[in-house]
Amino acid sequence: MKKLSLRTLLSVAIAATLPFSAAAETLKYAGSTAPLTFDPHATNDFLTTAIARQTYESLVELGPNMELIPGLATAWDYKGDATWRLTLREGVEFHDGTLMTAEDVAFSILRQSTSRRYKSLFGQITAANVVDDMTVDIVTSAPDAVMPVKLSRLFVMSKAWADTNGVLDVPDLGSDSTEAYSLRHANGTGPMILEEQIPGEKTTFVKNDGWWGTFSGNVDRAEYTAIGSAPTRLAALLSGEVDLITDVPLQDIERIESTDGFAVVEGPQRLFMELEMDGTRDIALATYDKEGNPLEANPFKDVRVRKAIALAVDSEAIVERVMRGHAKALSMPSAPGFYGYPEDMDVRQPVDYEQAKALLAEAGYPDGFATTLNCPLERYVNAEEICRASASLLARIGIDVSVNAMVWPEFAKMLVNGPDSSFHLIGAAGNSGDVQDTFAAVLHTRDTESGLGQQNWAMWSSPALDDTFAELVSSFDPEKRTELYRQGLKIAQDEQHAVYLHQPFITWAMDDVVNATVRADSAVVLSDVTVAE
Amino acid sequence: MTASYLVRRLGHAFLVIFVVSLIAFQLGEVIGDPVTAILGLEAPESARVELREELGLDAPYVVRYAAYIADAFTGDFGMSYKAQRPVADVIVERVPATFELAMVALIISLSVGIPLGVVAAIWRETWWASALMTVSIIGVSLPTFVIGILLIFAFSVNLGWLPSFGRGDTVMIGGWSTGLLTPSGLAALIMPAISLAISQVALVARLVRAEMLEVLRMDYIRFARARGIKDRVVHFRHALRNTLLPIITVSGIQIGYLIAFAVVVEQVFQWPGLGTMFLSALTESDIPVITAFLVLIACVFATINLIVDLLYAMADPRVRLSKG
Repeated sequence: MKKLSLRTLLSVAIAATLPFSAAAETLKYAGSTAPLTFDPHATNDFLTTAIARQTYESLVELGPNMELIPGLATAWDYKGDATWRLTLREGVEFHDGTLMTAEDVAFSILRQSTSRRYKSLFGQITAANVVDDMTVDIVTSAPDAVMPVKLSRLFVMSKAWADTNGVLDVPDLGSDSTEAYSLRHANGTGPMILEEQIPGEKTTFVKNDGWWGTFSGNVDRAEYTAIGSAPTRLAALLSGEVDLITDVPLQDIERIESTDGFAVVEGPQRLFMELEMDGTRDIALATYDKEGNPLEANPFKDVRVRKAIALAVDSEAIVERVMRGHAKALSMPSAPGFYGYPEDMDVRQPVDYEQAKALLAEAGYPDGFATTLNCPLERYVNAEEICRASASLLARIGIDVSVNAMVWPEFAKMLVNGPDSSFHLIGAAGNSGDVQDTFAAVLHTRDTESGLGQQNWAMWSSPALDDTFAELVSSFDPEKRTELYRQGLKIAQDEQHAVYLHQPFITWAMDDVVNATVRADSAVVLSDVTVAE
Repeated sequence: MTASYLVRRLGHAFLVIFVVSLIAFQLGEVIGDPVTAILGLEAPESARVELREELGLDAPYVVRYAAYIADAFTGDFGMSYKAQRPVADVIVERVPATFELAMVALIISLSVGIPLGVVAAIWRETWWASALMTVSIIGVSLPTFVIGILLIFAFSVNLGWLPSFGRGDTVMIGGWSTGLLTPSGLAALIMPAISLAISQVALVARLVRAEMLEVLRMDYIRFARARGIKDRVVHFRHALRNTLLPIITVSGIQIGYLIAFAVVVEQVFQWPGLGTMFLSALTESDIPVITAFLVLIACVFATINLIVDLLYAMADPRVRLSKG
């Protein structure tokens, strides 16, 4: 090899930087993690899905404000007998040029519903029947009013393509020992065609000119790179190597906003942060009296204690100080962007330490008590700081909280293999984004058999809420449903299911030439992005 | 004698690898839960139980370890939970990036560190030699990621000369992807290699200086001077040669360190090597990848140590004869 002097190295380096400035209608963007696979049925990682969504489309699409709009299905009707009838869009082509048929749709429904990662969402589907070329019936084991919402997460793949490439079944970690074809190849119907996927590094898309929809943007090529280190990601944006970054750390927002030529946009994420309190155990874990002796009771089970904690934890202050204003304070287990969120009911009670102390005294803890708050270190924005702030707020009413911070794998293990926590911070949503699913997954009494309350990690239990949920599941009348959503959320507020903190915002930063809108599922919708010349 | 020396050294190497593999495999039990790592929080209990059975996680530790080692000998390190690809593939495609980075950093650290050390030793009484050594302490004590970020903000953000992340374009030669043959690949290599080399430069310089001072005090140097041999010849032919012997050992170990500790630099520059792979595996509790990486690093260290020991034995017959 040629010997290199410093001078040649420098000139080489300068030459290498030249192409950076010439960004025409190519969008280069970067986020914190790489998409794991392009098989949309083999992952439930929300960042992976947000990227795969550019290639594979769902039966029901999400609008900019997460409202349901026709996707590959143009209509969906409940015809009784736990059956939903889907009318498919005509003339939709896969990227390989073949026409999408009801066969492909039925195949995709069954393929995804058998995926272990989608059992919670689609496990109830028992059949997908082809009625005619453009009609498919979905049959579930029990009537399911929120199926259309769930279908916004059901992706359609070509059956013939899957057959040819040996991926008729969802790739399985246990039995396979080779890489599945669908990991880095894709054949969907979406606005972008997957050109190349280098796992862990880079993903390249090109525009699908044969797409059935209309492009409101002008991107004809997009490159996504994972840059794990936040300062480097920011540097890549500021140096012009990328045009847009997702996952902007809160402390950098001001810096970017004050830099000429760059803009920050944000939007609500479909997630709410809450402190969950043990609702079942008779003796709370890691909870002591003020002398440090284990407490022979579970103070969290008493609704007065729960109320006292909620009155003391000032979520507005946490939003302002810890989240630097990039979040929305909440008073219920729902937030804007969820189907069924009643904005008028979301009114926070003002912080009141005196009333909180009085409630504690009434419950038999005039001097307070000591407990442990389990706290994940990453995964949620500023999670540890939220826990520390809550702890110092609770100290004001005599509850001494020691924060037990742990890395995410350890935290997740504690919940899933237990749940072994009486007091913890967590971000919750439910599976589909409909309040009914939040009730099913997060608020319903935990029941391993039916899978209800599967993410009810604090084992809170309210017969009234369980009844409301049962009624909701079998109600198809929109008005009745609205009433039941409100009723359930009211119960959660009244019985103080948890301490509701806030809904975090998704923050993107971009070069001024780029125009993109933040969506609650974190997806950069490439067909809507504009890059100015 | 040589044969038994070799056998003993090999035995040591295997023992090290065995112990590390045991610990690495045990780690998988401690950090997180594989099933949770794969399915996330939203999967129902039934799906978890099924997957646990399918992955054979219910079998006793010894059985699983034996199966793992047996597979490992055939080159099968299992499937990565997150990447859903064979671990061997994931690792093999990332070795070139880390290896090239480590080698370039090694070359930088030696080619800058040795002259610095020599100069500091020969002119040890001048003020600038001690200033050099003081600066080198700063080099040792600045954390690598701080150097990396400073470089990025200087040369990428402010000057726009060098790319802040990635490896640029690469060329495949056989199964080896190299970034050394493309302009963008070389440009991308500069800052990561320098960040990785800086603390090593200081280390090498101080080591060479100390060693050289030692040698310069030896009788044969005095005799050489007494015979009227020129300073230049004394310094570079007689003294430097003898100084370099221990540097061989250190460079050997250094390669190991550079590969293992490239983790931080790789993360800062999003260098697609073993380090970024390892860090993301850690945060996702992708246990097969973590285990394989740790075993691989143990192998690298053991092999380098073995080679260094053998080189030493060749250079110095007394090492061969002693008990080792």
